[in-house]
Amino acid sequence: MNSHTGEYSGEADPRTMLVEGPFGVGKTSFAIETLFTWLSDGVPPENILVMVPQRTLAYPYWEALRGADYGPLGSVDVRTVNGLAKDMVNIYWPLVAGEAGFAEPERGPHFLTLETAQYAMADFVDRAVENGEFDAINVSPQQIARQIVDNLGKAALMGIDYRQIPDFLTGAWGPDRPRKRVLAYQAAGRVADAYRQYCLKYRLLDYSLQIECFTRLLRLPDFREAFFGARTHLIVDHVEEEDALTHTLIRDWLPHLDAALLVYEQDGGYRVFLGANPEGGQALARDCEGVLTLSESYFTSPGLEALLDEVAYSFNQPGSDPAPEGSDLAFDFAFHSYYPQMIDWVADRIDHLVHDQGIAPKEISVLAPFLSDALRFSLGQKLDQRGIPHVSHRPSRALRDEPAARCVLTLAALAHPEWGERPPQADVAQALQLAIAGLDPVRAALLAKVVYRPGGDEVLTAFDRITPQMQARITYVVGQRYDHLRDWLVTAAAERATALDHFFSRMFGELISQSGYGFHDDPEAGRVVAELVESARKFRQSLYSDQSIDPIEIGRRYFTIVRQGLLAALYVASWRDEHADAVFMAPAYTFLLRNRAVDVQFWLDVGSVGWWERLDQPLTHPYVLSPNWPAGRIWTDSDEVVRQEEMLYKIVSGLIRRCRSHIYLGLSDLGEQGYEQRGPLLRVFQQILRRHPQPVEGLEVSRE
Amino acid sequence: MTPSGPFAHLDGERRVIDSSQDSMVRPGQLPPLFQFSQNSLQDYADCRRRFQLRFIEGLRWPAARSEPIEEHEQFVNHGVDFHLLVQRHLLGIPIEKLAPVENPLAEWWDAYLHYPPPDLPTTLRLPEVQLSTPLAGYRLMAKFDLLAIDPGERAVIVDWKTSRKRPPRDQVLNRLQTHVYPYVLAEAGTHLFGRPIAPEQINLIYWFAAAPTDPEILPYSADRHAENRAYLEGLIGEILTIDDEIWPLVEDEFHCRYCEYRSLCDRGVRAGSLDEIDAAEEESDWDFEWDDVEEIAF
Ligand code: SF4
Repeated sequence: MNSHTGEYSGEADPRTMLVEGPFGVGKTSFAIETLFTWLSDGVPPENILVMVPQRTLAYPYWEALRGADYGPLGSVDVRTVNGLAKDMVNIYWPLVAGEAGFAEPERGPHFLTLETAQYAMADFVDRAVENGEFDAINVSPQQIARQIVDNLGKAALMGIDYRQIPDFLTGAWGPDRPRKRVLAYQAAGRVADAYRQYCLKYRLLDYSLQIECFTRLLRLPDFREAFFGARTHLIVDHVEEEDALTHTLIRDWLPHLDAALLVYEQDGGYRVFLGANPEGGQALARDCEGVLTLSESYFTSPGLEALLDEVAYSFNQPGSDPAPEGSDLAFDFAFHSYYPQMIDWVADRIDHLVHDQGIAPKEISVLAPFLSDALRFSLGQKLDQRGIPHVSHRPSRALRDEPAARCVLTLAALAHPEWGERPPQADVAQALQLAIAGLDPVRAALLAKVVYRPGGDEVLTAFDRITPQMQARITYVVGQRYDHLRDWLVTAAAERATALDHFFSRMFGELISQSGYGFHDDPEAGRVVAELVESARKFRQSLYSDQSIDPIEIGRRYFTIVRQGLLAALYVASWRDEHADAVFMAPAYTFLLRNRAVDVQFWLDVGSVGWWERLDQPLTHPYVLSPNWPAGRIWTDSDEVVRQEEMLYKIVSGLIRRCRSHIYLGLSDLGEQGYEQRGPLLRVFQQILRRHPQPVEGLEVSRE
Repeated sequence: MTPSGPFAHLDGERRVIDSSQDSMVRPGQLPPLFQFSQNSLQDYADCRRRFQLRFIEGLRWPAARSEPIEEHEQFVNHGVDFHLLVQRHLLGIPIEKLAPVENPLAEWWDAYLHYPPPDLPTTLRLPEVQLSTPLAGYRLMAKFDLLAIDPGERAVIVDWKTSRKRPPRDQVLNRLQTHVYPYVLAEAGTHLFGRPIAPEQINLIYWFAAAPTDPEILPYSADRHAENRAYLEGLIGEILTIDDEIWPLVEDEFHCRYCEYRSLCDRGVRAGSLDEIDAAEEESDWDFEWDDVEEIAF
């Protein structure tokens, strides 16, 4: 069979098929077409399941299914395997709870997020740290908790007992490296064990227990039959981003299905930290009756094709050749001595593209290995000055760094003197400034200075108790508002049994979003405080609903972990952000998983080692804790280099494939942190520039 | 060769969807993934400004909807727990594994077992089903607690209500849910029914945990279906034509007492008391999920 743009091999009339190809060749389009063909053929929508590895990858399906041009419809589920697993465990909990070892299994489960899991583990980690059990590694207790939570999840995905994790890590560490690390692995194992017992006692289900319970359910013949029988048609998009356990699930599922389409992206597999197993994804081809290979890109221009060739050649990819001499590679490289100059250059270029060349802002993405707040802010400000809309993706910004959240937390601390927290005066000034309309920073600082009495009987003094001169400086209107705020906090403080999330809600609704107060007409503050409320509620409900702990104490614990920066804002870019006509700023990795092409990309900090280096995670290991790594084999430095090179190639080629027209590379001699930048991505482009010399903005000649 | 199975379309022309090319969000418009539901239409019917804030602007505003919040939260949790319990039962989990111990769940469960909705079709029992149908250029979606169907013969929609009081009939009849549910089933339930469903073959039952022996049974008819279509189309049409910067605020400020946007609209300070809210409204309050605004639950 030779389809329009692809090569097909396999059975004449396949029941199951894998479609493969790089980004931009129409794989997801083919999957959507397949979905609608099935619906037109009369397949009941409830019998069709579409699985994707993460939410952003579901958008094309939702868009197609929510269009009005398709007639009446039942629900085609578009899910992640984790979402599905969690739902199944929630519904079928009575069938597994007892067998899985949970105490009081007749009561319901509490699902933990990554953050609440880390918190549940925190006490165990702190004790071990105090005992010096983690002296060999130089990471924070939060990082330790995070890595142990990761390990439990990896064990669940590998289908092994979590207690084997220290052995796996020790085997890969080898006998010749310092023994102290092995002791840290063992300490992590003990913490994992204590935490697991705690979870079982209070029916707390972190990711690992969700997966383990789901696996357990699948071993029950009745459930298995019902689960596999509930759908007749399956589409799995991006199998390369799924983990080994999901691949096994798919493999077991295939024989039960009337039809299945698996979509595999060559060069993908970015979610290594989440267990992505691209090799396993591709291996599913052997379980399918046909394989369709698509190769003709719909997006990439000849100049970018040539750049792809160059990049492949630089990374020594098999069968690669450099682009012919004289090729017009669709990139520009600009060198700057200082970081702010690079940001100016980006803003100017974007200005030119949008205002002179008519390129829509949403067709431009600014990408960097990490998107720091400083970069987001400074570039955002410059784009604002030029009238160019922009959105940014901030996957892991701590809640405490959001000004609206800080304000609410500071006011909460003032209303809860029993917490024993005494916010610094500067925080109180900032909170007052944000909370009270018409109060500028200078007068807010003055006000805080005269009214704030940390540790006093009255934490805040009434406005009429300050000197008339000061009252006049602050102004009476502001003074009235301040007094009302103060009264509200005093009254709230008297209502002792209030949960913190309820306190936040009331304070938001009754006080700081009322007319005359700072959040009255501030959607961003509404969003942030809504997240804070939700996060505090989840914290309370998931961790403490079965424990009789005073709400005040729960509130204090919540306050503490937010202040430590442990809780990230839950914010993920919504469709509003995704679809806004705005320049999109994101870490490269986030952009890749957004699965969209744009006309123009800017790559910043191309000299940064961040394009290359893995996070330092001494207690876990994404490659070793995987079914592909032979137990006992030592992870060597050259393994590290090979894997990092592979990943860098994936990232770079993936970005190029997601570009339609041109890439601008920005480099500053000194990076954002003031260090000299000479990372491997820079070396790749230096090689390319040697083969294809072109003027480099900011330099007379290329710097080799 | 031309295959005939699930991949018969393989030989056809490939059509590429570049999702970055379409569905851009423009200020003041419904977002591209939006579909109408009983919740969003009820919001519109209650207050146009609320619809605008919630669905057009996607504004999250974390004020309390009713007081005391603690009771409101418990009420929501119990409602969710009861729906889950019934879902488990309908999916075949043995009854001895389900018995809840705490009230009000235990009481409701008892009521459900002893006084289930009367005379339900037995062939298909489908809990938590979602159907949608195009209407006025958008999709109208309904998520049913239970569809009980004897294919080709009759279909019953059951909605479990856990409000503290049974609402009077006229309140129930006026809810958008009463219009949306049978309409969507009649339009989009063919594949479940085995053939097109005549409106007369549909019943809608509201079952009240607070009054299990007194469910509200609402037969459907072709006339009502035609009225519903006109009514729902009219509502959506109206929504699509409003181009005010600020959509009209409801005149009857009673709604504002139970609306989280009251501070934004300068319509009061403290949330209304749970004791004074209409039972029907109380129910819809918990039924609302933020997911209706954005994507479906993931
Ligand atoms: S507060 Fe009142 S006017 Fe404002 S959105 Fe809510 S119901 Fe409408």
